[in-house]
Amino acid sequence: MNVRIIFLALFLAFANSNLHAREIHYGAVSHADLLVCDQLHWHGKTSESAACYRELLGSDVPAEVHAEAAWALSELQLANRLFRDAVAANPDNAAIRVRWGDLFAASHQDGEAMNIYREALEIDSNNAFALLGAARVLVGGFDDEANIYLEPLLTDATRDEGARVAAWLIVARVSLESSNQRQAVDAMDKAERILENSDWPPLELYALRAAADLLNNVTDSSYTGLSLEYNPVYGGIYAIPAHFYVITRRYRDAIDMYQKSVDIEPGLARAHEELGINLLRDNQMSRARKHLEIAYEQDPFSPAAVNTLRLLDSFENFEVISDPDLPEKGVLPITLRLHRDEAAIIAPYAVALARDSIAEFTDRYGFELAEPVVIEMYPDHEDFAVRTAGMPGIGILGATFGYVVAMDSPSNRPPDQFQWGTTLWHEMAHVFTLEATNHLVPRWFSEGVSVFEEWRSGPNPGVRIPMSVYSAMKDDRFLPIDELDEGFIRPTYEEQVIVSYMQAGLVCQFIDETYGTEKLKAVLYAFRDGMQTGEAITTVLEISPATFDANFDAFVEREHGTVLDNLDDWQRTQQSVGQHLLSEDWESIVGLAEHLIELLPQYIEPDSPYIALARAKEALGFQADAIRALERFWRNGGYDPGSLNKLAAWFNDEGRTDDAIAVLQSVNLVLPLDQEIHGTLGDLLIAADRPNEALREYTVALALDPHDKATAYYRMARAHNALGDREASQGQLLQALDVAPNFRPAQRLLLELMRADQGSEHN
Amino acid sequence: MRARRLVAVMLMFLPLLAAAELQVVIIEGLGGEPRYAEQFAEQVSAIESAAGGLTSSERVSVFRSGEFTRDSVIAFFTQLENRMQSGDRLAVYLVGHGSYDDHEYKFNIAGPDITDGDLADMLDGVAGGQLVVNTSSSSGATLDRLKGDERTLILATRSGAERHATRFGNYFAAALSDPSADLDKNRMVTAEEAFGFAERQVADFYERNGQLATEHPRLEGEQAARFSLARLGAARQAASDSQMRILLARRDALNAEIEDLRLRRDSMAPDDYQSELLNNMFELATLEEEIERRETELDN
Repeated sequence: MNVRIIFLALFLAFANSNLHAREIHYGAVSHADLLVCDQLHWHGKTSESAACYRELLGSDVPAEVHAEAAWALSELQLANRLFRDAVAANPDNAAIRVRWGDLFAASHQDGEAMNIYREALEIDSNNAFALLGAARVLVGGFDDEANIYLEPLLTDATRDEGARVAAWLIVARVSLESSNQRQAVDAMDKAERILENSDWPPLELYALRAAADLLNNVTDSSYTGLSLEYNPVYGGIYAIPAHFYVITRRYRDAIDMYQKSVDIEPGLARAHEELGINLLRDNQMSRARKHLEIAYEQDPFSPAAVNTLRLLDSFENFEVISDPDLPEKGVLPITLRLHRDEAAIIAPYAVALARDSIAEFTDRYGFELAEPVVIEMYPDHEDFAVRTAGMPGIGILGATFGYVVAMDSPSNRPPDQFQWGTTLWHEMAHVFTLEATNHLVPRWFSEGVSVFEEWRSGPNPGVRIPMSVYSAMKDDRFLPIDELDEGFIRPTYEEQVIVSYMQAGLVCQFIDETYGTEKLKAVLYAFRDGMQTGEAITTVLEISPATFDANFDAFVEREHGTVLDNLDDWQRTQQSVGQHLLSEDWESIVGLAEHLIELLPQYIEPDSPYIALARAKEALGFQADAIRALERFWRNGGYDPGSLNKLAAWFNDEGRTDDAIAVLQSVNLVLPLDQEIHGTLGDLLIAADRPNEALREYTVALALDPHDKATAYYRMARAHNALGDREASQGQLLQALDVAPNFRPAQRLLLELMRADQGSEHN
Repeated sequence: MRARRLVAVMLMFLPLLAAAELQVVIIEGLGGEPRYAEQFAEQVSAIESAAGGLTSSERVSVFRSGEFTRDSVIAFFTQLENRMQSGDRLAVYLVGHGSYDDHEYKFNIAGPDITDGDLADMLDGVAGGQLVVNTSSSSGATLDRLKGDERTLILATRSGAERHATRFGNYFAAALSDPSADLDKNRMVTAEEAFGFAERQVADFYERNGQLATEHPRLEGEQAARFSLARLGAARQAASDSQMRILLARRDALNAEIEDLRLRRDSMAPDDYQSELLNNMFELATLEEEIERRETELDN
């Protein structure tokens, strides 16, 4: 207990004692004098309620009531001390502990709050508000254990009615987040029926009703008016619906709503925080900082506000690059925000890839981007996580907020875990699906198009499905099309999100191949027109969702039935290959790897049988076969840098310069920070008389601070010379010779240039 | 008995050293596993080949794994004491596994190991500039015992606590024949250049594989930049041709001028520096062209 008190005391010592959320308690406290003040507050009578709480604080009432008044006046240190005193004086009173727990929960200390709720339940296992508090904390952490605490409140009508109202509102909120409108409406109706016979304010109910309206594209909900009539300064009436704009990725609409929220309730820290985070998603940096700083001032220990402000501070280490530098008619610039240590290396590839993707998707989906795309890459994954969600600890690689894309940078993860080029391609597809539909596209379709475009047109094309997903397919775990969004939003088993990604990609592939690209596009635009998934399928494809599901199952069986039927065999054989690799039993590996490839030719992960086959063939002296194996690996989208480097060298030895170049360009999309690859690729490009591209590679190699700088400068000089820029070439040569005065190739080129200059002067 | 015979064989081949001669000693430890034995043998071969380009084969002594004992190595160094003079240079390579028990470093060989105390005793008695390249695990533990004014140490690990088998030796040996290790492109790889190459490759390896680095090479001593370990390409035959001697002398003088120019760089206007550098480089390049031409004439 002492530890907890010290912790909160430390926290409060730094906390700004200005304003802090004391949310509607639905009867968790029942002191008549306090309720008088609360009613004033709930009706938006701000000055009257403040005077009432102050008076209460000076009156002769129990310590826990003083604590409530102090909390309402944002005197958090005092509230904490008073609650502690009240608990000490009433050790068997569960209700006081619950409110102390609520104070901790409101102060972002969920763990401490849970401990107190559990203590309260030990005293009174039926305490409805202890159950409610615990459920609220667990729901916030997406923890299914919340159901254990919620269920008694939802199923037992004899429980405290106020706690039951709050419980049904939690259910309504979660149901809306899960797109389960029917369940949400049912929960709200139940809450409303109880509220009708009570004095509790219906403000949260109104806000959730307005959110439900918003999700049905009713933007002028009648509940907004009702709420403002009840309490004209209740910011939640905008902030709660705004949250649903955020989770449906309509960030600009969310910004407008949060702005309205803080306009009527300037002290609503959470709304300022969300406004700031969403302004960042819209690349409105200075306005975002302003609201985040207000949020921090009002609630200094909100992790999201602190993290995001720290991230903004770290932007001084980033470079903003615009391509083209100067505006060009008809060309939308691409803006990159890259860490200064990587900017010169990544920028050329990122710009080229982004331009290629824009050309590809504009043509395919018939949508012209209206604004420049902003691409941010973070060398520190936690910075990316904070950028995306305000908090560290998320497992995704990239996120798109509309015209703003944020992702891990190539230096963030080992190449066997991350193909940055493919991730950028995936995110760029999101830019199109989001913007083409005014952000109305459902999650599954946006992800599906992105995955499908990775496979079809991405820098490492080819259908790539992880083995874990094949296992899920075999276990018939794909969801009906109407429920596919659930797999992303509320997964029910560990790998469901990745399974849902793959299912969505396969669905888009199925639509494209069975009904045609125009139909895939038409589904996209059906979403723009406000249709839900089932309606879009029925309208565009002229079949019911159930028929669609049946046809899709048949497609999956046709495309992947062989591997699904032989999954156990494949996995056993793959293990066997691994064992034979350890013992270098090359003869055995050949047969096993060929069998694996026959079963699943598109499997090109780093443990791909193509790599094993190539190693075995090379060891057995059949280099041509080894090259063929790695070539198939590469052409199927294989990206293992070690294997591709070897293939490029073999191609080069065979005089297949163009293929060697193409292979090394693939490696760049996985491993762009290896200066040797850039140097080698540049050399091949020079040999192929492609000096422009060579110069790009050499420039990047030099930016990577190579150990052998003389060679790096010399290579630059060669490329400039090949492009006819003698002055630049001579400048680079001097740099090379400054490092290495006796560098013969550089000396020769210098003589050649200077003699040519002398010759032209004489002429 | 076998050990004594091996000592006798090694001593037979010990050359009488002339002034400013380079003596190279390569000691190959036990591999323990075939893959390490193979790696060590390859490294020894690369070092031996590089040394052969700098000094006569009689002055390159290789103690191959399993074919010598601690006593035979000590005896060999005792003989060296009598033969090497203050102007001579000695390069000692230890290629293998090492261990450290918080008290004593041991280089693993057949029979009793060679300890850091043994190494100090052996080296302290030998006159001249010394380079010790120890690519073994825990080699960092030898630093305190071995460091000295005329001795440069290249160690695969920063302390004795880095006990895992190292990758440093592979990269250091590779540097001796890799043109990209020759940073100043003078076709000689110095100890400093080889160390820099290997150090970077080690760091890249661990970073590329997302592993925590279990070795951190270190270089101690002032002579590494002047201690050549390998020649890239054939040596120039200048001694017998007076014209070539003149050309090479001119080149050395010009290189000295360029070095002087670099030292004055900070006190010069950038354009002046660039202009003077360009003139010098043009002259040097022209001179090198003449040297090549003369070489061709001599070859013919």
